[in-house]
Amino acid sequence: MISLDLISGILAFFFSLMILSYLIGDNPLFRIAVYIFVGVSAGYVAAVAFWQAIWPDLIQPLIYGTTLQRALLAIPLVLSVLLLMKISPQLTRLGTPSMAILVGIGSAVAIGGAVTGTLFPQISATINAFDLSKVASPIDAIVNGGLILVGVVTTLAYFHFSAGTTAEGSVKRFGLIEIIAFVGGIFVAITLGVLFAGVYSAALTALIERLHFFGTFFGLGN
Amino acid sequence: MRYVALVLAILTGLVVLVGYFVPALAPLRDMLLTWSIILAGTATLVGVFNLILVHGTKVTKREKGSIYSALLLLCLFAAFIFGLALGPDDPNIRLLVDAVIVPVEATLMALLAVTLLYASIRLLRRRANVMSVVFILTAVLMLFASATLPFGEVGPLNDFLRPWFQHVLALGGARGILIGVALGTLTTGLRVLFGADRPYGGK
Repeated sequence: MISLDLISGILAFFFSLMILSYLIGDNPLFRIAVYIFVGVSAGYVAAVAFWQAIWPDLIQPLIYGTTLQRALLAIPLVLSVLLLMKISPQLTRLGTPSMAILVGIGSAVAIGGAVTGTLFPQISATINAFDLSKVASPIDAIVNGGLILVGVVTTLAYFHFSAGTTAEGSVKRFGLIEIIAFVGGIFVAITLGVLFAGVYSAALTALIERLHFFGTFFGLGN
Repeated sequence: MRYVALVLAILTGLVVLVGYFVPALAPLRDMLLTWSIILAGTATLVGVFNLILVHGTKVTKREKGSIYSALLLLCLFAAFIFGLALGPDDPNIRLLVDAVIVPVEATLMALLAVTLLYASIRLLRRRANVMSVVFILTAVLMLFASATLPFGEVGPLNDFLRPWFQHVLALGGARGILIGVALGTLTTGLRVLFGADRPYGGK
């Protein structure tokens, strides 16, 4: 009897081959693989959304919860039903209050995350780079901390887009900002270059892993 | 309906935001967060239903490429029904994930090695300015410094230049980008909470 693992391996082999066929250009085999992938992923995501959000937080407490829990859950139940109205073009307006709550709560969470998760830690880390007790030598703290600070400030200036109109009528940033932004552009290019190298290394690792998978599928190597 | 949505967005958003700083509001904040998880789950289902509608219309109208849409719908229904009946952690569903989702994602990632190389060559041909040259030089330097070369590691490149680029120059730029993103998020969030932006449908 053919084991499920063998079927899974054969399917994985064919899907990998179909996706790799994109190297010779867009073709039906690649499209079939991508459409199947999108279909399976969407179905799987819908099942995960049901089992990990709707069932434990809504349906299960509605069936087994206390009266108070059930009464409180009537509100998200109604909001969820209203949100489902978004599927129909005629009833889509009914889903707007649910979307408004989702967006309002999402914005508040995003603000909290941005302030406590990014702004404060990143700013304090930039300041701490000058902490003499945490580095080998004061020169390190001044040079490296200074370069990091220059990088942060100039990168922020690079994304500053306020501009004035010149005598010729063209729009240009102010002279000093333009110079600072140029330095910021160099820092952004270095950052993206480092990130690119990381992503490229990961992609090469994935390519090697796939080629190794083909090899083991045909019994070459181990 | 417009004003109801506006009031709901501002009210729920403010309660959650103030709930971070006022402990007395924490239970209300947690309840609203649970509601938002339920709504996010339902929104995911709405998105999947929309995908079904788009591809269902393609199939019924027999548009170009409708055979692919039919295949997509077939796989979507199969994965959804089996996922719903067995649960996402069932070994048979994991097998489906291992047979389709994981290999396709891994191979798409592998394809990236070729497309990224092609894109970087095109970048130098199309826009050869200071930023592009610095970007490519940094990427090549980082790849050489991290790769195992036939003649062994290049000492200063691996021991000094790579860590210095990563932990000083790139860190400064990355920190600037992160702070910029956070400031953008803060501004956009506040605009929603003040009712200046209404992405949920109000004018």
